[in-house]
Amino acid sequence: MSASTQAGAGRAKWVLASPLIVFAAVFVAFPLFQGIQTSFYGLTLQDPAAPWVGWQNFVDLFSSPNFLKAARFTVGFALVVTTIETVLGFALALLMNRAFPGKKVIFTFLLLPIMIAPALLGVMFRLLLNGDIGLVPALLSRVGLDVSLFAPDTIVPMIVLLDILQWTPFTFLIIYAGLQSFPTDLVEAAQIDGAGRWRTLVSITLPIMKPIIFAAVFLRLIDAIRTFDVIYVLTAGGPGTSTTTLSIFVYKTAFESGNFGLAAAASTVIMVALIPLVPVLVKRIARSEKRP
Amino acid sequence: MKKIAVVVLATVAVAGCSPSTGGGGASGGASGSGTGTVKMVLWPGPEGDAMSKVVEQYNAGQGKTDKVKIEMTLLSRQDTFSKEATLMAAKSSDQDIYFVASYNVGQFAASLDPLTNVDASNYFPVAVDGLKYQDKQYALPLDVSNHFLLYRKDLVDALLADDAQRAAYRAVALKAVGQELDPKPADEWSLDDYKAMAAYFTVGTNSKSPTKYGTILQAKNLLYNTMIWNDVLWGSGGSWTDDSGKANLDTPQAAKALKVYSDIYTNKWASPDSSQAEFPETQAALKSGNTAFALQWSAGFAELNDPAKSPDVAGKMAIARVPGGKTHVHALAVALNKYSGNKAAATKFMDFIATPAAMTTYANAGGIPAMPAVLKDRASINPAFTMISESIEKYGYAEPVFPQTFQAYSKLAEDLSGAWVGTTDPAAALKTANDNLQSLLP
Repeated sequence: MSASTQAGAGRAKWVLASPLIVFAAVFVAFPLFQGIQTSFYGLTLQDPAAPWVGWQNFVDLFSSPNFLKAARFTVGFALVVTTIETVLGFALALLMNRAFPGKKVIFTFLLLPIMIAPALLGVMFRLLLNGDIGLVPALLSRVGLDVSLFAPDTIVPMIVLLDILQWTPFTFLIIYAGLQSFPTDLVEAAQIDGAGRWRTLVSITLPIMKPIIFAAVFLRLIDAIRTFDVIYVLTAGGPGTSTTTLSIFVYKTAFESGNFGLAAAASTVIMVALIPLVPVLVKRIARSEKRP
Repeated sequence: MKKIAVVVLATVAVAGCSPSTGGGGASGGASGSGTGTVKMVLWPGPEGDAMSKVVEQYNAGQGKTDKVKIEMTLLSRQDTFSKEATLMAAKSSDQDIYFVASYNVGQFAASLDPLTNVDASNYFPVAVDGLKYQDKQYALPLDVSNHFLLYRKDLVDALLADDAQRAAYRAVALKAVGQELDPKPADEWSLDDYKAMAAYFTVGTNSKSPTKYGTILQAKNLLYNTMIWNDVLWGSGGSWTDDSGKANLDTPQAAKALKVYSDIYTNKWASPDSSQAEFPETQAALKSGNTAFALQWSAGFAELNDPAKSPDVAGKMAIARVPGGKTHVHALAVALNKYSGNKAAATKFMDFIATPAAMTTYANAGGIPAMPAVLKDRASINPAFTMISESIEKYGYAEPVFPQTFQAYSKLAEDLSGAWVGTTDPAAALKTANDNLQSLLP
């Protein structure tokens, strides 16, 4: 390739990437830096003058029992749902990775939950699970199960279940896509050598699928840590603060307490806590690309 | 090109770090031409439905004379004020008229223009006064909201008329509240009667109960539910502050009020769904016939006796004062955005809303205007109207108004909603609530 052609190709890639660069600059970089800036000011609804407070917002944050409780709940919730959704997603992907009648229809139904906006799903289930007018309690009572799905001892399992319902199709889709490029000759070779299904799964499928599964786990974990919509619609973080996630904490701090500085500090802390995970993912993906 | 991209990103990042002046001009909006489109925010539900009729009336009539057209946006009931807070923090001129309430006017005042020509004589004094902050009138009353006991009159009347049921009630009351209480008409209930009735009308306590549960508690972690629990607090002789203005929640009266809720919930005299219940769930519980009575917002009554909307209970529901004889009162209102670019036009519409004619349209469409004369005149369309005036005068109380009143409601819901449903130690919850309230008081 001539030098001028190479230079032209170089310019072309920047031109083609420029809309994304501008979009990222305006809608990602600008709000991000303004948010970080706000975390150092005492910006509240009562005091729009927003005096500089330095690290005070961060000090207030880490001495807030509600923030620490929200952090513990969020991490626990995220780990539980991510684990279950990955296992279920993997199982579903294996099941769907074959031809059978009606596969396309079932595939479509499997993906429906992730097409519904989380807040809308929350509203739907707020109606469906209502003890007086909801379809689910009515069906359960027909089989002799008279249980409140919103009681304090059932609400956490319920929101875990709803998250699994909505987001298992996400992990399923990622893993299923990975299975489409799976080298089937390895499986055939293993079968010829007498390996059973379980041995093939553990010794061949899982190791090769590790990077894909890792990507699914990582993406789902980050998203689960940001969970807001369904929980807020159903419980508003209650009873008390028992189902308050970090996102709900930030939201309430900003829009109910009117303390935008403290909310921005919480958002900054969450971002800083999650950033170190990104190089881990990049490294894993780079490592898998280097393998022959 | 790489250098250009880096420069662009760096410029944007630095711009993000510079102080924000917001939109609409930091100095505060403009009077505008006095004509054109005026944008208004309201929340959905009875108030939004009623205001849409007023807007239609204005746009088809007076608006043509004024050369003003109103565009109303309905946000979600749960998040209208949050979204408005975002607009206010950004000093946005996107909306000209905001929807506010007496419990957040202090919080929003910095982003509103005071109103100068509100004729207070048309309104309930508590509605007008509740929208003042630092002696300035910041909003125009729309609805006045208070609480009532909404109950199944047919079931209570049957209880009162039947000696066998009365005897059974006395036995249930003895177990529930430690006293052999006689059943009373709903407008005479004390808080002990409220508990005893909840027990009596719960099938788990009284196998002959015609309803599954006696009541439903609005116990979701939501600031509006604090307002309902406050009725029980004030009805128990408690309050937010003592005479010196200090927080007053770590008291025997507050503990008694908390116990009313927690006893009802833990004894299963209320639906277990109460822990996530608010206005719509309470309506659903009453409409379904599963629940005999509930503390509910005044706006909830009309549809319960509407055969189209509540076929199972229409004609059977009645309204009485809150047990304990205290009701929270607040006003929902509209206010002028300080950063509006067309204040003159917005003011024309607000002048129109302030007339009895506009509020009559509002009442006819399901709203509850804060004008006593209109409520009296339109009593035929909603029996609650005649009771509202009496209720506000005889039983109404108002929580203290201070800049962080809104935050106080929210914080109390957060601190107490666990204790309301028995998942948190009540003494610890009240102490936390008291300390947090004290930190918010001026």
